[in-house]
Order: sequence, then C-alpha cells, then structure tokens
Amino acid sequence: MDLLEVNGLVKRYGGIVALGGVDFSARAGEVHALLGENGAGKSTLIQILAGAVRHDGGRIRLDGADYAPVNPDEARARGIAAVFQELSLVPDLTVEQNIWFRREPLSRLGTVRGKALRARTLALLDRYGFPHLAPEQEVRRLTLAERQIVEIAKGLASDPKILILDEATSTLPAREAEWVLNLTRQLAGEGRLVVFISHRMGEVRHIADRLTIFRNGETVAAHEANAVSDDVIVSQMLGRKLARLYPERRATATGRLALEVEHLTVGKRVHDVSFALREGEVLGVGGLQGHGQRELFQGLFGAARVKGRLAIWGKPVAINSPRQALTGRDGLALVPEDRRGQGLLLSKSVRENLTVAVIRRFARRGLLSQRKEAALVKEMVDFLRIKAATAEQPAGTLSGGNQQKVVFGKMLLTQARILMLYDPTRGVDVGTKGEIFQLMRDLAAQGYAILFYSSDLPELVHVADRVLVMRNGAIATTLEGDANTEEGILRAAVFEKQAA
Amino acid sequence: MSERGVNMSSMTADSGIDRPPSARPARPAMDLRALLLDHAPFLVACLMLVVIVAVYGSLQSGVFSLDELNLDTTATLTLLLAATGQTIVLMRGGIDLSIGGMVSFGTVLAATRFGGDPGSVILWSAIILAIGFAVGAVNGLLISTLKLQPFLITLATWSILSGASLIVLPTDGGQVPAWWQDFGSAAWLGLASPVWLLILLLVLWYWFRSTRLGIAIKATGSNERSAFLSGVSLTRINLVTYGLSGLFAAAAALYLTTQTGAGSPTIGKDYILPSVAAAVIGGVSLFGGRGSLAGTAVGAFILTIIGNLVFVLHISSYWQPVAQGVILLIAVLASSLAEKAARGQDQ
Amino acid sequence: MSAFWARNRLIVLAYAAMLLLLLVTSLFSPGFLAESNLRSIVVLAAFVGIVALGQTFVIIGGGIDLSLPWVLNSSAILMTLIANGQDGPLLWVIPLMLVAGAGIGLINGVGVAMFGVPPIIMTLAANVILQGLILVYTGGTPPPAAPPLIQFLAVGRFGPLPVIAIIWAVLAIIAWVLLSRAAFGRYLYALGTSRTVADYSGVPTLRTIILSYVISGSMASLGGMLLAGYSGQAYLGMGDPYLFTSVAAVAIGGASILGGSGHYVGTIAGAFVLTILGGLLPALRLSSGALLIVYGVVILLTVAVGSETFGGLRTLLLRRRRN
Repeated sequence: MDLLEVNGLVKRYGGIVALGGVDFSARAGEVHALLGENGAGKSTLIQILAGAVRHDGGRIRLDGADYAPVNPDEARARGIAAVFQELSLVPDLTVEQNIWFRREPLSRLGTVRGKALRARTLALLDRYGFPHLAPEQEVRRLTLAERQIVEIAKGLASDPKILILDEATSTLPAREAEWVLNLTRQLAGEGRLVVFISHRMGEVRHIADRLTIFRNGETVAAHEANAVSDDVIVSQMLGRKLARLYPERRATATGRLALEVEHLTVGKRVHDVSFALREGEVLGVGGLQGHGQRELFQGLFGAARVKGRLAIWGKPVAINSPRQALTGRDGLALVPEDRRGQGLLLSKSVRENLTVAVIRRFARRGLLSQRKEAALVKEMVDFLRIKAATAEQPAGTLSGGNQQKVVFGKMLLTQARILMLYDPTRGVDVGTKGEIFQLMRDLAAQGYAILFYSSDLPELVHVADRVLVMRNGAIATTLEGDANTEEGILRAAVFEKQAA
Repeated sequence: MSERGVNMSSMTADSGIDRPPSARPARPAMDLRALLLDHAPFLVACLMLVVIVAVYGSLQSGVFSLDELNLDTTATLTLLLAATGQTIVLMRGGIDLSIGGMVSFGTVLAATRFGGDPGSVILWSAIILAIGFAVGAVNGLLISTLKLQPFLITLATWSILSGASLIVLPTDGGQVPAWWQDFGSAAWLGLASPVWLLILLLVLWYWFRSTRLGIAIKATGSNERSAFLSGVSLTRINLVTYGLSGLFAAAAALYLTTQTGAGSPTIGKDYILPSVAAAVIGGVSLFGGRGSLAGTAVGAFILTIIGNLVFVLHISSYWQPVAQGVILLIAVLASSLAEKAARGQDQ
Repeated sequence: MSAFWARNRLIVLAYAAMLLLLLVTSLFSPGFLAESNLRSIVVLAAFVGIVALGQTFVIIGGGIDLSLPWVLNSSAILMTLIANGQDGPLLWVIPLMLVAGAGIGLINGVGVAMFGVPPIIMTLAANVILQGLILVYTGGTPPPAAPPLIQFLAVGRFGPLPVIAIIWAVLAIIAWVLLSRAAFGRYLYALGTSRTVADYSGVPTLRTIILSYVISGSMASLGGMLLAGYSGQAYLGMGDPYLFTSVAAVAIGGASILGGSGHYVGTIAGAFVLTILGGLLPALRLSSGALLIVYGVVILLTVAVGSETFGGLRTLLLRRRRN
C-alpha cells in the first residue's frame, strides 16, 4: 500500500474547477515528480495536501488512514511539510526562530530556551549538509536564495514523512540547487517521500523515481521516470504534440545601435558593465543567479541608482526613474521579475492595467477619452491573445501566463522600441512560453531591440542571438553563434579563465 | 525534442568556483555597525531623552534625583500604560484608536461605581479590566472575521465607547476614595509605586516577548501571510492583541483616577495619538514586527518631560505640542534613514 | 447594468442607506422633510462634504490626513483675525488662506512622498505642530467675529438654494471630473492600489501624492473659513470633530481605507448619512452619547456590508493561488 493515495480529488473555486477528479499515489522512500503546465492543478493538489486549502470532493489516504486536514498545523502533525514557492518566512525573526517557529523548546516559565534552540538548529543543518547559514541572522537580511534554503530547513524541522518541494530550486544558484537535488535523494533514502515540482526537466530526470503528469485539473498519466521519454512527457503535459518550443531564429539585427551602455555601475552589484544592443537583436543575459543581472535591469530602467553612460538610439540619456525611461518610441520598457508585486494592479481591471503607463496617449488636455482607451485595449488584447472574459475582469483573476501577457501589453503600448524582459517565462506554462518566444522574435523582426534575462540555459541558447554572461557583477564574456551553447554559458558563469 | 535543464553534476563542488557575495558563507556574526543600525530608532530616542533631560537639568535644580524620577514616572504612567497596549497592537501590524474611548469609559465607571468600600473598589477594578479586555477582544474578532481594517474598526468602537462614557457620566465628575488616590504617593525603598509598576511592566514585557505567543504576535506583524502559512491562527492573535490593548487602556484609566480623583467622559481622546507617538518615537515600526516596550517607555518619557522643559524655559505651554510633533518627525526620519543605510549595506 | 453594479455597488448602497435614514427619521420627526429642514441638512452636510473631499483624495491615494482639524481651525482663526470683521480684506485673505492650507498639504505630501514618513505620523505631527503654533501666535485669545461676507457664503441663500450648497456642488463636479475623467484620477487609483507597480508603470507618483495632500489642505482651509462664517466666529477646537466625520464619510461612501478604490460620489452620501443621523438625535430624544454610539455602529455596519459578506473581491484573489 502506498504512503499517499489520492482518489478522485475535486476542488472548485466558484465556477472554476481547479481539480476535477485527480488520482495520485506515491510511496515512501521515493522522489516523485509532479509535472504539468500552470493551471494544471499541481499547486492546488499540494495546497490541499499541506492543509492550506480544503478539498470539495474525493478522498485522501495517508499511511492507510483518512486524511483531510483543516489547517497547515494538522498537516504538519500528520507528517506532511510543504515548501512552497511563496515563502512563509517572517523577516523580523532570526533564521533559527523561523525554522522552529511555533515549535520552540520552552522553559518552565513558557519562554524559549535559547541554547536548546541553537543546538537543535545546528544539529539539523549539519545532518543534511546545509549551505552555511547564521542562525542568529534576521531573515530580512538574507537574499532570496538564502531564504529558500531556510524555508527548506523549516520544512525539515517537523521531521516530516512527506516533504513537498514546489519549484524549490528556481531561485537557487547552481551549487545550492545541486545540494537540494542531492537532499531529495538523501531524504528518500531515509524512507521519506519527496514530492517534487519543477519546470526543469533536467532536474526531474536527475532525481525522480516516478512522475505523475497533470493537465487541466486531471491526472493524465503516471510513469516510472526511466521508462518514459521527454517527448511523451511534454505531449502528455500539453495534450498535443508540440511542434517546436523555440521559434525559428532569423538574423534580424541591423547595424543600428539601439542601446549603448558604458561603464555602468549599480550600487555594489554591478561593476563597470559595457555593452551594446542593436536594432532587431535579441540579446540574452545569463549567468548564475544573484550576479547582478537583476540590478542591471533595474538600473537601466531607472529603478536603481546608476553611474555610467547610456545612449539610446545614438542620443545620450540619463534615466533616473521608470517614468523617465518610458518616454514613448525612444524609451526603454521593462517587464519586471515579479509580475504580481511589480507588474500588475491585481484588483484593477485588465483594461486599467494595460493603459496605466500610457494615460497620455488617450488624454487630451488632461481629460481621458474612453473611446481611445478602449481602442488601445482591444489592440493589445487581440495582438497578444490575452484570455479574459472581458477587459473589465480584475487582473488578479487571470492565469499566470495571461497575467504576464498583460504586463507585456502594458509595456508594448508605451511604444518603447527597446524592451527589457526579466525572466519573462518564469512560472509560465509551456504553451504561453512558446508564444512569448515567438513574440520576442517577431518584435525583433519589426525593429525592436530586446534584452532579456533568463535563468534557463536552453532559452538563452535557442532564443537569443547573443548572450552576455554575467559573473560577480561584470560581463564575463559574450557568446554568439556556435559559441552560444549551454556548456559555453555555464563555463563562463563559473570559471575565471576562458579558453581563448 | 528534449528540454534539458541545468546539469551541474559535471561541475565539482570545489574547483575554484568563484562565488558571488550572496552565496558565500554568511557574514561573520553581526558586526557592530549592523547592530547599531538595527537598533537605531531606539538609540536615537535614548539620545533625545538624554539631551532633553540634560537641558532640563541645567535649568532646574534637583532634576537628577530620585524625587524627580518618581515625579516624572507618576506623570508619565497613564500614557505609558496606554502606549503599552498600543505597542502590542503596533507590533501586530495594526492600530487601536479605541483606547481613547476605553480610557474615558474606565474613568467614568470607576468614578461612579467605586463607592468607598475597598471590596467594591477591588471588584469594580477587576470588572473594568475585564471589560477592557473583552471590548478589545471584540475589536480583534471584528477585524478577523470581517477582514476589515483596524483603523476603521477601532475608530468605530472608539465612538461607541465615547458615547457609552457620556451616557454613564455626562460631565466630568464622580468620586474615588481618598486612599485610592494615594497610590501615586506610596513609596517603597525610595521609589514611588508608579516606578515599581514601570519596572514590573518591563519585566513582564521581557518575559512575554520570549514566549511563543509573543513571538507569534511579532511574526504576524512582520509578515501576516507567512504567519498564516505557518499555522498561526490570525483570529486568536487578533483577539489576544487587541484584548491586551483594551486591558492596558483600562489599566491606564484606573491609574488615571488615582491621579485625578474623578472620571471624565472625554479625557481618553488625549491619549490616542500620543500613545502611537510614544511608541513610534521609541522605535516601534508602524508596519509591525519591530519594537520594544523599553523604546515606548523612552518615547513616553520624552513626551511628558518636554512639558517640564517648556515650563522651566518660561515659554508658552503651547510650545509643548510643537516640540512633540517635531520630535516625532525626527524620530521617524532617523529610523527611515537607518533603514535605508541598513539596506544599502546588504546590497 | 451588472458591470455598473459591480463597480459601484458600495456607492449605491450608501445612497440607499441615506434614503432609508431620511425616511426613518421623518417617521419619528414630523416636519423633517420640510423644505427649510432639508435645506439646513444640506448646509450641515456641505461642511462635512467639503472637508471630506480632500480626505477622499488622500485616502484613495493610499494615505490619510490627520491634520485636517488644525488646518481648518488655523484657517478660521487667521481669517477672522486678519479680516477683523471687515469684508474688504476677504478678497485677498480667503485666497491667502487657501494657499496656506495648500502649503500645509504640500509639506505633508513632501514628507510622505519624498521622505517616506508614514501618513499617520506626518499628518499627526503637522496637526499638533500647527495647533501649538497657532495657539502661541494668538495666545489663546478669541479672535473677532467673522465678516458678514463669509457669513453670507455659509448661511446665505441664492434664490431657494443655500450658497454653500452651490459652492459644494461646484467642488463636487470638479472632484468627479478629476477622479473619473482626468489622468490625475487614474494615477491616484493606481498609486493607492500599489505604489511599486505605479512607479514601475511610469506613474508620476511623487506629484500625485503631493497634489492629493495639497487638495486636502486647501479644502480643510476652505471648510474652516466657511464654518467660521456659519458659527459667526472661530473658536478653539472647532476642527476636532471633522477628523472623525471626514474619515467616516469616506468609509461609508465605500472607499477602502487602504486606498485604490472609492469615489467622492460615495463620500457625498456618507456626509449626508452622518448629518441625517445627527438630526435623528433630537428626533429620538437621544443624548449626544447615544449619537456617538450610533455613529460607531453605523460605520461598523457599512464597512461590514462592503466587505467579504457580499462576496468581496479580496476573497477571490486571496483564494486563487496560481503557480
């Protein structure tokens, strides 16, 4: 009998069926991967397993007994711990306070015993070979990657029978990601079940014993990992044969320089970066996470203080705020990293979101023209094929891929011909990914200049014309043509000296 | 088509990998600068208090004495008690405007119900404290179940409590027993009882914040979503937090009657914003999750001693609110500068 | 039709509450619906409405203005002091006071937008500092009576209409245009929803925040002068009740205290609700204490109705988590 058995699980949100009868089973001592596009139901399933959400129908059995947790506490008590993409750390508490939150060792007066807390923390970190963490450090001082690791420690602190990892490696640099993958095997070796969600097929192949594929809120299939090919997996995820994820790449770059960056420095994170972006070019930025890519984009967009020289379409400019960056055709637009926190007004309609950056385009003498606004909205909804019931629908209710399209649309309406995209396909389903890549190449063909950052090597290799590899806040090397390979990017990202 | 992800297994762990600052072993346990920046608001408040007391002491004799400490603590304690409750609520990330109503209500109930008999006084004191906690708990419940903003809910309950106060006692008046009013002057070991009360408060605080509940309140204020995902019952936290706020407001009312000897249906509104100001000056963050009672105490003392200073400088007493406002702004600006500097350090 | 309802549900409910109250009060108080009584209700509501106009803008933008009481009071005191009972000086004193109120708003706005001071603290500090300064300046002595012109503006009539109602109506139309049909309004709603997103979208956030506080300051100032005209003179503490009523009017009108939603049209209903409730007092023979209780309960009810209980949007957003 399997450790975890899910039968016919149903979950509805109002009129929308998130799970329409899901079957799933997993054993102790294995690493079980969940695959599927966004909106396929993986997230909902693990939220239910973790007690964050209640299901509407179907049955779950854990270790042979019925399981229907009313809250995360009960789930943890029954032995299930989840590490979600959305971190549950408290910034003003320390690392160890977060790890043992609500489970601290107490004295007779009811106060927390500091020494015991420290000892437990160090024991846990040692046992699983955690990358170095300072237990007394306040979490708000940690980087995103460090927080992800603390989150994992927190999951393990309850000694769970089942550990669920939802995209646990997406924010981690390569070395820490590797550690996580090894950790899953160690935990499986201890007899636990690790449920692993990732969009990175390479990782899944590396560690999973079995996989279950979801589509549209239902289980499509379950396989032994070494008995199924990638093509089958992808087609089962999509429900159709994917002709090609990456668009055909044609040379669309002209000689004209769209953006010239000279000796750019951003705070302590980016040092003396110089490069040029040409009209019609798709320029990728790569490298290990946390090496200054985010700060580079923010600096160019005016969201961070910079030193250095910029020229746009040949004219020197100084950009001190996003407002100065978004000046119409000669401007610079950014589709930011965090679409929910930086890109969208979630409670406002699709229409209001699309037009918020270009109010001037449909305002005359300060007054807005609803007709002109509607025209702009229609233009973008049609062009990007944004799936929403109406343009009045709140942006927060759209799927991840469609939300990303709205952010795209907002920036496209500004008519800026230089587009910067920060990890545009993160958390986006495979189908929409393909649309986004095609869009990037189409825009380049129309004369746009595109700069994009991706944490996914194949994307950089297949979509970008050239790749700037960043390391330690500087450009380690520029790769193009035959040199633009995954291994090439990786070597440049990681090693000091390059082969000539 | 194969979508290979990152495959790092060929890259061994220690082959001279050059790692960015963010992935290196964490910084050596907190250097002095980080420590200072973290506590900057509190330190700035202490500095301001020192300066104010120094100036005051240079103009008036006998300031650096136990007598002065007793006097000032006696004068500050009402505000401090109210601000204690407010501190807890602010740490939770909320705000409690209803303490104004509760303080008024507490005084009018005391002034009309105490009578002269010690038994009745004790009974009614207990009832008033219980009412304080209960009303606060109702605040917390409304905030949780209706999922509404604390500002509005406590604004409404403030109005309700103020109205109730007016009904019980339409104008200032009433009476409390003379021995009750002697509380302020009672002393032990040279320290007046308000000072002992202050010490007790601080001790209680340091105990409370090391309990699971205290940590949970701080966590909820720091990031409500994280606390919720970690299994904290927001309803329970709100109930306790606002309940305690009401309790302390009731305590402030009781103490106030030992000072004024009477009840007043409108006195409470003078404590609402100063209680927030005292906490903010002392380093409590309006966004939740940071702060301490020691800071609030410093803030409360600053606000009252300013009054002494103004008096001693022989300037119009109307300068007091001006000074209080300016100090409040200085404290907030200092804390936001420190925050920026701390963040800059981490970049 | 359903789209209209979805967007304006809370405002419609506020007006429904207003009408209901009117009806109920008239049952207890015959003659409540007489023309002269309705006129005085409009006049009283106008004061709340004018002061709450500024508060509406600030709250939609995600802030709050706690400095209204003493901006109002200072303006009233200074106007009567300088004019000294004469109409002539009013020609430049009134604009001067409006500019002064705007100036305080500018300081508030700069503190909030550029220095990152939380609105509660900034405006609270401004309020007490202003209070102290004005009292130091006047020494607490009562200023002279208000000039006849301002009294006329406050209580006079233009045909059947109170002059102040005309002033209020003009201001209301301007407010409506600004919020619904002007770029400024869009910027304000975006800013109140998420400052970060507004910044990343090129919204002129600094300018917008500052302008909202400038409007608030000048409206408080205007309200103070008119109120002095209504009472015949300025007195200490005249602004204090308007803090509560301005916030209450905005909340009853359906705006979220966090910002990003609501409209002045709703605030108008809120102002009427509060004023009519005030008329309920003598009608039901309630003491002023009971009125305060009623105020509190009404706020609780209106915000409860506007929240989750009616399938609020927030539940939908919070529960729908996607990858």
